[in-house]
Amino acid sequence: MSKPNADEEFFSRLAANDEAAEATPIKAPSRLKAKVYSALVRRQTAYGSLLSVSASKANGQSLCIFEKAVEILPVGDGIKSLNFCRVCHARVAAEKIENAPIYWPHCPYAEFQNR
Amino acid sequence: MDDPQLVAAVLRRDRKATADFVSQHADGIYTFLCNRLIPRTDLVEDIVHEVFLAALESLSKFQGISSLRSWLLGIARHKVEDYYRVRLWEPLSIDGNDAEPLPVEPAFDEFIDREQVAHKVRQVLKSLPEVYCLALLWRYWENRSACEMAAQTVRTEKAVERLLARARKQFKRRWNEVER
Repeated sequence: MSKPNADEEFFSRLAANDEAAEATPIKAPSRLKAKVYSALVRRQTAYGSLLSVSASKANGQSLCIFEKAVEILPVGDGIKSLNFCRVCHARVAAEKIENAPIYWPHCPYAEFQNR
Repeated sequence: MDDPQLVAAVLRRDRKATADFVSQHADGIYTFLCNRLIPRTDLVEDIVHEVFLAALESLSKFQGISSLRSWLLGIARHKVEDYYRVRLWEPLSIDGNDAEPLPVEPAFDEFIDREQVAHKVRQVLKSLPEVYCLALLWRYWENRSACEMAAQTVRTEKAVERLLARARKQFKRRWNEVER
């Protein structure tokens, strides 16, 4: 018969060992990150407009090629605040394919890829 | 960008900051959930999703007392415990020869290679009936007492202790089998 204290010690040590091993993260699938990001941005647009791409740039963020194109257009902030990713092929590919072949600089979906 | 700056930018609905938020924290949450839902890794992706959506809902309440990572892991921990609670609430249908004495007590001197032990633990946990695995994870990995576990399910403390005793015994039996 095993002693209860020995059992407690055995399992506590296993758990503690596991916690230390958890320090090495497992990479989340890039597909998952893409889906989570899309869901968060969809939720944000339900609360109101996104920050315009010009304002994002002014905050020091880098824009992807499509966002840059919108940013230089002579249009109001209403247009620049739209969720362009919603209609972008990069989003569709990244949500469906693990390590999708998308390489646009500063595209979040390209940056989620575990390459 | 530090945590308060990142949170402020996400709250301003800056899409780029939202992408950074996912990039910086998805791996940590994913790792935690993979380890806590060992028998049901098929649920991990859905729960990662839920954690981020719940975090976005309450991000304005983030005060920066702990790191954003710890705060997010707190949400993940709640989601995991919700799952444990539901599964341990359900009636047990466990067969087993628990009356058999354990042939050999597991040895401690094998705690040499941390990664190897962690791998073996996962292997053994995966092989257990789900309810045993979840009970052990809740008790030892989440550090909940039998009393706390009982309070969150319809079981009595005695029933939780009996469940844990059976789970420990099965774990140790499988641990010894894997060794051989």
